[in-house]
Amino acid sequence: MALLSFLDREKSIAHPGYSRWLVPPAALAIHLSIGQAYAFSVFKIPLTQLLGVTKAVPDDWKQTQVAWIFSLAIVILGLSAATFGKWLEGAGPRKAMFASAVCFTLGFYISYFGVVTHQLWLLYFGYGIVGGIGLGLGYISPVSTLIKWFPDRPGLATGMAIMGFGGGAMIGSPLAIKLMASFKNSTDNGVGKTFLVMGTLYFIFMMFGVFTIRVPRDGWKPENWVAPTKPQALITTHNVEVNTAFGTVQFWLLWIVLCTNVTAGIGIIEQASPMIQELFKGKIGPVAAGGFVGLLSLFNMAGRFFWSSVSDFIGRKPTYFIFFAVGAVLYFFLPQTGANHLNSVVLFVSISVILLSMYGGGFATIPAYLRDLFGVYNVSAIHGRLLTAWSVAGVAGPVLVNYMREYQIQHGADKASAYQTVLHVMAGLLVVGFIANFLVRPVDEKYWMKESKA
Amino acid sequence: MADTFQKSFAALILFAWLLVGVPLGWGVYNTLLSSMKLFQAPPPPAASAPVTAPK
Repeated sequence: MALLSFLDREKSIAHPGYSRWLVPPAALAIHLSIGQAYAFSVFKIPLTQLLGVTKAVPDDWKQTQVAWIFSLAIVILGLSAATFGKWLEGAGPRKAMFASAVCFTLGFYISYFGVVTHQLWLLYFGYGIVGGIGLGLGYISPVSTLIKWFPDRPGLATGMAIMGFGGGAMIGSPLAIKLMASFKNSTDNGVGKTFLVMGTLYFIFMMFGVFTIRVPRDGWKPENWVAPTKPQALITTHNVEVNTAFGTVQFWLLWIVLCTNVTAGIGIIEQASPMIQELFKGKIGPVAAGGFVGLLSLFNMAGRFFWSSVSDFIGRKPTYFIFFAVGAVLYFFLPQTGANHLNSVVLFVSISVILLSMYGGGFATIPAYLRDLFGVYNVSAIHGRLLTAWSVAGVAGPVLVNYMREYQIQHGADKASAYQTVLHVMAGLLVVGFIANFLVRPVDEKYWMKESKA
Repeated sequence: MADTFQKSFAALILFAWLLVGVPLGWGVYNTLLSSMKLFQAPPPPAASAPVTAPK
């Protein structure tokens, strides 16, 4: 009971003198942990060889069955963020982070039982649903707290945390590979024990975030910082309640902005390895393609920090204009770098990493954009609802890319040419995002909360 | 007294950043190593192997 009361919002109010620079590491501890989800693919092959240990046997699970675990986790991430966002605003970040850690760890533990009893539904339920709830709660839990601590640099602050989600896969992937290798023996490929150890390690790491996070006292502001007095059209000083925000045009325009940006990014991420090999046939092999995927991860992570920080200086709307205008041109031009045209690997890689940095930047800049339009009061809850755009893009994006590519190939296009249409459609999606961003206007006064409530 | 408080606080901040920075640095280092394969991969064995395009 004492522990539960420690989790209360009131108990996490910072004492005078508490440094706000302790808050980003607390948020990073959560995001670096839950970002492991993007490294789930390292379990894909081992999970299809649980019975055969070194090779798949007929009773082993198929890759298509295993792939649903990750998809389910991402869908549940969006749904749980949308569902629990409002609760989080009242409960405070510490309780939400704790709940996230419990769910995320339980997801691993339940999956362990799924592995040892060879019950696939336990992995869907464990990692997919329970773990997915942990992902959603963890993703949005530090957002409004960071914005309150960094009213002078909200983009930088949320960028630091959301960068962690991009970086989480870089830790989770080699960690899982090393653990599986150490647990592997002639009768066990080590996946189950790896789940147990990873669940425990991540729980301990996330507890650092739980114990360190603090919310600022009412009326706190950074030393020597004065809130801008000059009104800025797209930065409100008022607040909009989450249910009200849900009914505004601005919310849905930003939903389209996020959805199109994510779908386009997935166009590259989903096909990165085969795309570079097929566009540069005979020049790039699977090993080099693996290096390309690693490079994309680095730029995806760096872009989250870079672009969200840039948005503090140039504004959110111009930042997304850059993503959509430059992105559309680059997506349109990307197929021209292939072996059939310019035949430049350097150009292809350079364009791809810029595109991936903007994909990551789109994720990291959206909380600050929401804060500008709707105020800080319910920003985590509004952000949570907006993340349903990610769920939709996460499922629709790969389906769209794969379907279009297959359609092209079935109608006589060679594998390299098939990418042209796919990438041109991605460019078209970014034009849609550009228009949505263009249409964003300040939220009408009638939606503002009464100041006493805020 | 105030100086002592400030020093320990700075150490706490440094510790907090190291706690998240070290694993992240390890992950970035591993990813960088993997990325290098893009630039270090040997050219395809076109000269020694039969000219059959990889599937």
